[in-house]
Amino acid sequence: MKDAEDKCMNLEEAVSRFVCNGCSVAYGGIAGREPMAVSYEIVRQRKRDLTFITDTTVDAAEILIAGGCLRRVECAYIWIGVVGVGHNYRRAVEQGIPNHLEVQESSNYGMSMRFMAGALGLPFMPVKSLLASDIIAHNPDIKVIDDPYGSGPIALVTAAHPDVAFIHVQRADRSGNAQIWGMLGNDDNLARAAKVVVITCEEIIPTSEIRKIPNMTAIPSYCVSAVVEVPFCSHPLPVAGYYWMDIPFRREMVNASRTREGILSWIDEWIYGVKDLDAYREKLGVVRLDKVRQLELDNYRIPFIATKELIR
Amino acid sequence: MTDTKEYSIAELMGAVVARQIRNDDVAFIGVGIPLIAGIVAVSTHATGAILVYEGGGIGARTRRIPWTISDNPTTDNALAAVQMWRVFSDQQRGFITLGIIGGAEVDRFGNLNTTVIYGTDGTYARPKVRLPGSGGANDIASSALRTIIMMRLRKGKFVNRVQFVTSPGHLSGPGERKKAGLLGKGPAMVVTDQCIFGFDDNTREMYLQTLYPGISVDDVRQSVDWELKVSPDLKEVEPPTQAELRVMRAFDPMGFILGEKSADRSESFDDFFNSIRCGYESIQLDL
Repeated sequence: MKDAEDKCMNLEEAVSRFVCNGCSVAYGGIAGREPMAVSYEIVRQRKRDLTFITDTTVDAAEILIAGGCLRRVECAYIWIGVVGVGHNYRRAVEQGIPNHLEVQESSNYGMSMRFMAGALGLPFMPVKSLLASDIIAHNPDIKVIDDPYGSGPIALVTAAHPDVAFIHVQRADRSGNAQIWGMLGNDDNLARAAKVVVITCEEIIPTSEIRKIPNMTAIPSYCVSAVVEVPFCSHPLPVAGYYWMDIPFRREMVNASRTREGILSWIDEWIYGVKDLDAYREKLGVVRLDKVRQLELDNYRIPFIATKELIR
Repeated sequence: MTDTKEYSIAELMGAVVARQIRNDDVAFIGVGIPLIAGIVAVSTHATGAILVYEGGGIGARTRRIPWTISDNPTTDNALAAVQMWRVFSDQQRGFITLGIIGGAEVDRFGNLNTTVIYGTDGTYARPKVRLPGSGGANDIASSALRTIIMMRLRKGKFVNRVQFVTSPGHLSGPGERKKAGLLGKGPAMVVTDQCIFGFDDNTREMYLQTLYPGISVDDVRQSVDWELKVSPDLKEVEPPTQAELRVMRAFDPMGFILGEKSADRSESFDDFFNSIRCGYESIQLDL
């Protein structure tokens, strides 16, 4: 692929080019592989009035809400989990702080099928979830019909086509062939449903390496508009085969989130106070990043693939 | 090393749920205590059970506790790593025999609320308490062949009718699920921190089945908003075995899953690192 288009750019440029105020944004991953660095950059660039479309997103959604970037969410689940409550989500919905957040909700399978409909180029998909729940009463985009072939009630969910999707993966080449290890979430369909796809990756590798293990390519380059190499993009969340969860860091963020003042000073320290992810990693320290990597590599490596030593 | 005579209520709940996972189950594992209950099951009595996680992990065997339904250990030594849409489709197709979910509010027919608590003058758009939402709970409650609910027993949380049906139980009684088009059989059991409830085969109403040590029928009645029926064959729960406790303590050495309010803890990063590493280094997997 010597003649393939080189789509590499830096994160600052990808966010400023593809995220416009008022547009809809979606993220790949679920708790793992969430593009935290993208949330930091969107907050740093003070984007506003975004609609966030997701199955489940944890910390990366909390940061966007706390940064005042979102006007609306279409989701199945937004929270922190394990280490605590989604204080920023709660504050926005319950009190309108920093701004009121409109919620249109579904279930994880309902959202999965919205991305699938988008990826298939179909207007909707039928599901046997959501029936008889109050989710339907508050989401006018879910329709319940009688199966015309006679199997009884069935719910229809509408196709999702986010304006831009950021999908963080383990490895990609410079034209955007993206390889995922571990759980896939809905990323194969999200990449095909979104209007613009930005791949962030732990490592950029040569196309010749992609070709050695093509079954790992969840997203082919023709879906992709831009590629950004962002090591530790998901910190403090994990990336399979690269690093495990940094729970103490998440706990500090959750504790700061208990009050609006607390999270604002956390944002000052960890987002506005650092220029970019290089500065963020430097502030965390090489030793700490080495250790979250060790917790992963002691247990779980991608076979046959030499993970580039990114630190030390 | 660890004293297994004493155990916490969370460990008891973990053991109770683990025992519900059978060797031939394909079990959808939800967040919280079910994460460790699944590991206890496949490490002790149900080594043939297949644990399925929403992110797409199928059949993982790991030395680490997954902290979420899509954490790296959910595909560690797994049989398959697929998509979220794929595992939920497998469930809709009927492959998932057991689903385990939690909630913030439950009613006497096992309907669950994890969406909103309205309060006195709250609305859906601006409720008193906003909760995380369904995640996959609605899907599991709809389509897993049978489900188990885990919830702490608290006054005001076990009600006649939930404020918001996030995940359907037996709706308003017998035959309702089928009429609504739901595929699964609905909740079979509610595991709490004081007792276990079952559901009556005829009325589909929750009744008291098993008590934990030191809890009386009256204690339970006081926490439940409806006229609670009690099994004529009321049992006392079996405490966790040594083997079950050993697994729980090795996999969750800091009590992230089984401890209370982990956000309040303040271990340093190095304490976290050392404790987690010692935990998994103590575990031998027999695959």
